[in-house]
Amino acid sequence: MDAFETALIRILPRLRRFAHGLTRDAADADDLTQRAAERALKSRAQWQPGTNFDAWTYRILRNLWIDTARSRQRRDKVIAPAEDAETVGAPGDAEAAAERLFLMRAMDRLPDEQREAVALVMIEGLSYAEAAEVLEVPAGTLTSRLVRGRQALAKMLGGVNDG
Amino acid sequence: MMAEPVDEPMVIAWIDGELAPEQAARVEQAVAADPALRELAETHRAMRARFASAFGGIADEPVALPSAEIVSFADMRARRMRRLWVPGAIAASLVAGLFIGQVERPKGVADRADALALAPDLARKLDTQLSGEPGPVRVALSFRARDGAYCRSFSATHLDGVACRTATGWTLRYAAPGTAARGDYAQAGNNPALAGAIAAIIAGDPLDAAGERSARDRGWR
Repeated sequence: MDAFETALIRILPRLRRFAHGLTRDAADADDLTQRAAERALKSRAQWQPGTNFDAWTYRILRNLWIDTARSRQRRDKVIAPAEDAETVGAPGDAEAAAERLFLMRAMDRLPDEQREAVALVMIEGLSYAEAAEVLEVPAGTLTSRLVRGRQALAKMLGGVNDG
Repeated sequence: MMAEPVDEPMVIAWIDGELAPEQAARVEQAVAADPALRELAETHRAMRARFASAFGGIADEPVALPSAEIVSFADMRARRMRRLWVPGAIAASLVAGLFIGQVERPKGVADRADALALAPDLARKLDTQLSGEPGPVRVALSFRARDGAYCRSFSATHLDGVACRTATGWTLRYAAPGTAARGDYAQAGNNPALAGAIAAIIAGDPLDAAGERSARDRGWR
């Protein structure tokens, strides 16, 4: 395994988590992750050593997702709980999966550009600068999408007043 | 700037650790002094923690590379059945390894026919161990060299290398300081120069699991 593949394998679990945030569907997330990994391997010549590898791979996955979402009917709801439960592997995961499903449903109600900002910062733990780099938007745009997404989520999850 | 009131975006940025120290201190003071701001901060802090915790487990699950990666022979076999372009992709990735990250990599021992004989301990491991098996020595890949000899790439505590079997035993064809000693499994085999050395020596595709087992059982002759 070379440095590129090692770096890719290291980031893949986090890409898959980001894919969960974007797709709100475990099976779609796995599929998207695999396609992003394939695309990254095929496009490896385009990666500039010394630049942010993680941001580059997040961007690949996110752009693939945009293409996918555009090319098919928009889902109007997230997967049903029963369906999600089937994808849960280890025992004891049911509660975590239910919580995740609940949060993915909330995410589902956000506009795409707010959801991806929220997923990159709140779930992936990227800095604002890194998230802006992934999404190829100015820092101010990222911040305002992030704040609006967070405010909307806080209301949905019942924790904050309108003020 | 100092007169700017502390608002929700600032509180969120503070929670995200995005503020400069002076600004962060100011928000911290404002939050401490104002119950409404404190509640807002708690809400956003709890929500961030909730998302991080709910999704955190996903990132602990390993994900395999889809194709060109060389991990185990079982994997490779399965991939080869699925994707006909894999052997080419492997070759391409081995060659590409030459050009990525080589700046900070030691050059290692050059490939020479009269290169070093391998320490007996290591040689025994290469005699018996199949690739992918855990241990202080890990074999990544077995393959035939262009001169027909069997070769194996490995990571040991202080040494990464490629050794080929000659009439007198295992001979080192390439070596570099070990990556396994760092104790980070993800680092093991992270060596573009090693991949380049393999690309220079290998004839055809790496052995699959059955081929490797049979070569081992025949004493790598």
